[in-house]
Amino acid sequence: MLTFLIRRGMTLVVTLLVVSVLAFLIPYAGEGDPARKILRARVNDPALDPAQVEALTKELGLDRPLYVQYVDWLREVLTGGFGFSFTSRTPVQELVVPALGVSVSLALAALLLALVFALPLGIWAATARGGKVDNAVTFMSQSAVSAPEYWVGPVMVLIFARYLGWLPSGGWTGPAYIVLPATALALRPLGYFTQVTRAAMSDVLSAPYITAARSRGLSFPRTLVRHGLRNSMLPVMTLFSFWFAGLLGGSVVVEVIFNIPGMGRLLYTSVINNDVPVIQGGMMLILTLAVVINTVTDLLYGVLNPAIRVSSHA
Amino acid sequence: MTKLLKQARPRVAAHSDEPLLDIRGLRVDFPDVPGAPAIDGMDLRINRGEIVALVGESGSGKSLTALTVMGLLPPGAEVVGGEARLQGEDVLSMGSGRRNEIRGDKVAMLFQQPKVMLDPTARVGSQVAESLRRHRKVGRRQARARVVEMLRDVGIPEPARRASSFAYQLSGGMAQRVMIAAALSADPELLIADEPTTALDVTVQAQILDLLKQKRDELGLSILLITHDLGIVSTMADRVAVMYAGRIVENGTTKDIFDDPQHPYTQALLKASLLEAERGQLFSIPGSVVQARSLEHGCRFLPRCPVAAQLGITDMCRGEEPTLHTCGEHEHHSRCYASREHAEAG
Repeated sequence: MLTFLIRRGMTLVVTLLVVSVLAFLIPYAGEGDPARKILRARVNDPALDPAQVEALTKELGLDRPLYVQYVDWLREVLTGGFGFSFTSRTPVQELVVPALGVSVSLALAALLLALVFALPLGIWAATARGGKVDNAVTFMSQSAVSAPEYWVGPVMVLIFARYLGWLPSGGWTGPAYIVLPATALALRPLGYFTQVTRAAMSDVLSAPYITAARSRGLSFPRTLVRHGLRNSMLPVMTLFSFWFAGLLGGSVVVEVIFNIPGMGRLLYTSVINNDVPVIQGGMMLILTLAVVINTVTDLLYGVLNPAIRVSSHA
Repeated sequence: MTKLLKQARPRVAAHSDEPLLDIRGLRVDFPDVPGAPAIDGMDLRINRGEIVALVGESGSGKSLTALTVMGLLPPGAEVVGGEARLQGEDVLSMGSGRRNEIRGDKVAMLFQQPKVMLDPTARVGSQVAESLRRHRKVGRRQARARVVEMLRDVGIPEPARRASSFAYQLSGGMAQRVMIAAALSADPELLIADEPTTALDVTVQAQILDLLKQKRDELGLSILLITHDLGIVSTMADRVAVMYAGRIVENGTTKDIFDDPQHPYTQALLKASLLEAERGQLFSIPGSVVQARSLEHGCRFLPRCPVAAQLGITDMCRGEEPTLHTCGEHEHHSRCYASREHAEAG
């Protein structure tokens, strides 16, 4: 187990190094250089003064070779900083850390909401395969999967905020503000979680050890709880962590629609403003968290199914 | 430990001449599959303390019989007729609650692939304890102690440590021993063993069979041993029932069946296994059991039968199907016009 953890840890370090290169280079993937774009936005004049451009380039440290910039940036990241925002001149961490917090709460709220409905629905459908319940659940999950946030979000705002007035239409100043965006965000994962739970549970229910447990006198519901749940949770967990990592920076649409100060919206505005350090810091944070989530998921596999722990030793 | 259990729950000795399990006219069908039912009018009796072997090739309905008695038929299969009385109580007509009560308590089952019959995510000991905790109101700690005892009893070294193992840490033989402990933990009357050693090495096979025999002697257990291996039958069984295409075609004591087989199918099975054992040669019965299902009437073995043509009775065999009639010893029955009584009468 110890060697397994050490090996896992080393993989983690290498992955994070690769991730840091990616996070650093991503803002440069677009065309043109940042200084030019920033100046153009500021002075609103297509013909820029070359001296001004050069001055700003030097000021932002963009005149140095890329690898020097990277090493400097990495050194700062390792000590917990991400530099200063080009546009607001505030330390990047003061922007990205709160934004990440918002996105994490939004993602968790949405995914837990999805899970709370998906597990019982998926299990119910799996125990009644081919029946009316199964067909209804399949239809609903397919509808949920094909409900994009940019459509669901505005519709929900119209119904629950405009017409009924039950919930705020946007903002982020209290618990009530999380309900609509989390629901809009939950719909698609809800559909996928339901489908995966149904498939996994159907498989497990036809497994030989279920018959064996029944042969000892356990009732069907008891067998399902004792032997079905744990065995069918692996694929659901995989999908959960996949969505969690994805929603950290990927809930742009919902964050913009509901005016939520999360990571998606921050990255969106930073890309528009060419705020290179914020993009780099935000990406680094998201990617690191995604790598950590994946590692934790891998470790949980072994907890759920000890046979997996062994095969990953080999 | 088993003594303790027996004192706590003495066996009913009142109707000791009544069979423990009495299957009559059992019919099990897959309604969506055309053709005759998979089990089509089957009779089988098992007495207390007896080991009865149910033999026949794949597809004859042996395993389905076992699952029917357990009430664990796969989806798509349906009991369409007959009864199966366990201690006088028909298991086919009982409700699911009562079924759960008798599973593990009165009748338990062993399976062919022991390793996949264990939940990969649960510790071995907790699965052995399941029957015990379900049927005897035993607390967690007490159950744990008994599990260790039972694992030792079925020959598992370091039983305390093994109780917290997982299935992947066990060999096939060990896993089958664990399954035996799990099956016997609530001290059932009948053990249905469906090819319990087919997936195991030959040496381990013998050990597991010895263990089953030992348990029969110790506990007065009855065993329905389902197998296609006649070598196992000859060393284990008191009586043998030969199944073909969903029916019993011959039954009798092990001695009767091996020394004086009456049905051409039994004779062919014995010939096949003898040839293999003595000369390493493979003899196969031409044709397959599947085609028998499409026969409307007449003897189901006729398309593969070498005897009917020799004796020139093919027309009779094609007519009405022979019944299971006594031949010689009163415990010996055969479903063939060519077997003793019929042949003598004709």
